[in-house]
Amino acid sequence: MKISFDKLQKLWSGQDDFRLRELTCGIPLHVVCLDTMCDDAKVSAFVLQPLAYMTVSNLKEVEKKLAVGTGVRRPPNLYSAIEDFTNGYTLLFDDKDDCISVDTRTVIGRSIAEPPTSMVMRGPREGFVEDLKVNITLLRKRLKTPNLKIINITVGKYTNTAVAVCYIDGIADTGVVNDAVQRLQSVKVDGVLDSSYLARYLDVQRTFLFRRVGCTEKPDIAVGKMLEGRLTVIVDGSPMVLTLPYLFVEDMQSPGDYYENSVMTALSRMLRFISVIASVLLPSLYVCLQVYNYQIIPLRFLITVLNASEAIPFSPLTEMAMVLIIFDILREANLRMPSAVGISLSLVGAIVLGDAAVQAGLLGAPAVMIGALSGIGLFTLPDNTLILSLLRLAVTFIGGVMGLFGVIISALIIVVYLASMQEYKTPFLAPFTPDIPRDRQDALMQRPVPSMKKRPKSIPNKNADRRD
Amino acid sequence: MKDRVNIDQLALLYLLLIMGGKFLTLPSLLAGDVGHDSWLSVAFAFVWDGVCLCFLLWAIRINDRSRLDISGILDKSLTKPISKLIMCIFFVIFILRINILLSDCYKMFSVTFDVSTNWIVYILPVILLTFFAVYRGFNAIARTGQLLFGLILIAVVALLVSPLTETDFGELLPIGEAGWDKIMLASFTRSFWFSDYIFMYFVLDGIQIKKHVFSPILISFAIGAILSILLNAIFVALFGYLAPDFDMAMSKIGVFSAASTTNGRWDWLTLSVWLISVFIKVVVFAFCAYKCIEKIVGGNFVKFNWAAAATISVTLLLPMFVSTDTLLDTVIKWGVIPFTLVQYLLPLCMPLLTKTAQRKTEVQSEQS
Repeated sequence: MKISFDKLQKLWSGQDDFRLRELTCGIPLHVVCLDTMCDDAKVSAFVLQPLAYMTVSNLKEVEKKLAVGTGVRRPPNLYSAIEDFTNGYTLLFDDKDDCISVDTRTVIGRSIAEPPTSMVMRGPREGFVEDLKVNITLLRKRLKTPNLKIINITVGKYTNTAVAVCYIDGIADTGVVNDAVQRLQSVKVDGVLDSSYLARYLDVQRTFLFRRVGCTEKPDIAVGKMLEGRLTVIVDGSPMVLTLPYLFVEDMQSPGDYYENSVMTALSRMLRFISVIASVLLPSLYVCLQVYNYQIIPLRFLITVLNASEAIPFSPLTEMAMVLIIFDILREANLRMPSAVGISLSLVGAIVLGDAAVQAGLLGAPAVMIGALSGIGLFTLPDNTLILSLLRLAVTFIGGVMGLFGVIISALIIVVYLASMQEYKTPFLAPFTPDIPRDRQDALMQRPVPSMKKRPKSIPNKNADRRD
Repeated sequence: MKDRVNIDQLALLYLLLIMGGKFLTLPSLLAGDVGHDSWLSVAFAFVWDGVCLCFLLWAIRINDRSRLDISGILDKSLTKPISKLIMCIFFVIFILRINILLSDCYKMFSVTFDVSTNWIVYILPVILLTFFAVYRGFNAIARTGQLLFGLILIAVVALLVSPLTETDFGELLPIGEAGWDKIMLASFTRSFWFSDYIFMYFVLDGIQIKKHVFSPILISFAIGAILSILLNAIFVALFGYLAPDFDMAMSKIGVFSAASTTNGRWDWLTLSVWLISVFIKVVVFAFCAYKCIEKIVGGNFVKFNWAAAATISVTLLLPMFVSTDTLLDTVIKWGVIPFTLVQYLLPLCMPLLTKTAQRKTEVQSEQS
């Protein structure tokens, strides 16, 4: 649509933050900006002050003479002009409906701090913030190379959210980059309020169980992933930066892993892996062993369990289901409570509810212990806690009804599902299946950084050699 | 490609398939046929399997140039009606093998794990797993096998090693007591349990071949054969003349393991892990049966075909009407000849058939 000052004025008529200054500096000029989105000092310093001492014959001359403003551009149509305007640019119109925009955006947002979800003992403590520009700066600070490429896209009919796709040219696979950019460009949505909105569009197979797009709040992690051939998607207004392609094994990796001793890292990862498997299977095994196959349990242990659950009025399945559901309720409540109340709630849940239930003979101590152990184990994979919790409940139910047979079948269905997932030329369970020996250097085990000379094969990349 | 699989995955899957079906009722059936020489019957069966496998691998190597599927090869080399007939025989083999595997598993769960239920409730989850896996593609099945392979192998080795101290291998002597002709005949009549390589026919066009086609698969075959022979030998050595009465070899061997009532039956957990390989075998054979229907009707199922899945599901109700023993007797009486043709004769002819089909394809493409 053709640029027109009258149309713009009509669109914003009646809005209190719409500011208009009529100036004459050789030609009549309409200077408009949104008071709520612009920095008054910038409007004054970059637009009004220079114009006060300027005499021009057309807007093109203004564009050339506004040397103090760093971001001066000419929007090609009305939509671009409105986009700039709503982003905090000041627009200058002449009487021929010609227009230029000057960057006078205000910087409102929190300062860079350590992200609460990715705290580390050692390593950088900077975290992404909600501002896209700041986030790109954090990446540029770590990647001082012209090969860092950024593709800018705008998504959302009403929110016009700025999205930046960042990758390292020469490492990232062009096919993957193009695929992701095409997907983002084809997004038809009224608004994008967080990067998680776009994660759903970037998930090619529309998987509903496991997360298929990674996210991080730490620029060092994002850069580390880009150096492996991944691309990052930064969304204005979100401190969560998306990374893709994404592997299941990334869930086992913690931000601090690369700054610690590799042996310790390997041990921690193994522990996380075992705890996740145990968390999903332990309640179901407990129930089906107690109901059907108690012979597997050593005699002394069995006697202890039987003594503890003798007076319980519920079946082992009901008992375990109650424990798991109570634990999930407590977790949900804890997430939504202010932190001070949350601690009290945890105490009430853990001590009062658990202990009281055992004392009252409603729940057995072993069931509470296994439920709690399984619940805590799930938190070693904080991003997938909820879905794993649901799977655990489902497997427990099937195990309680069908015994070991049910547990085997449900575990196999989950594995087949995971093994079948493949997006952006990357199998979800790589490097375990398909087996990629080279990538096992940074999977459950971790080799010391100097000996990781190759980039992961499971992530498509143009340059496999890290030293090249 | 949904059904592409690399040679390593194929090799591991093949090993899982070898381990999956032979440790249920087969050892006791063979012990009934030839007594303590049953392990020799197994060894002879594996010799035949090995020869046929080599020819099939040769065909796979030849087929790498043209990537024809099984019906493509058979249609062009043996005409379409014969090709469809072979597919029908394969379909019957797969359905029977799935049914026998499932009914053996059913028996194992009800006898060993005290989980008694009716057949329909038992097979419903299996059908769900099977067709979910078929829907996800052969690649997903192969990857699942690759992922769980280590775990299953450890479980099998643990189950075999644990009773070794109690095993008196002197029970196997004198070797060949049942008579060599009887031993050979037993390996022939029980051949229904062998030739697990037949699943490879149905992924012929999707195998990614590397430099060494033969070695990973032959290593898998050798390991599988050794484990199977060893299990049979341990089984008859442990139970002696009572072996034919203990129809669930794997679970009964566990009785002699280091586990006791005080320590708990930990061998049952390893047994459960091993059972995963049985279900993987069921899934693979169901995939092949599904492919058979695809080839018989002459179509190419781009999307998941519910009618084919329903047909296979209905055939899984067979054990509700016919007992496993009757089924096996019928198989041995009527099926052994046609089954042997596709299990043992077809692989020997496969290199020649593949070459013929390739030549015809090339001529056709030149003419067009």
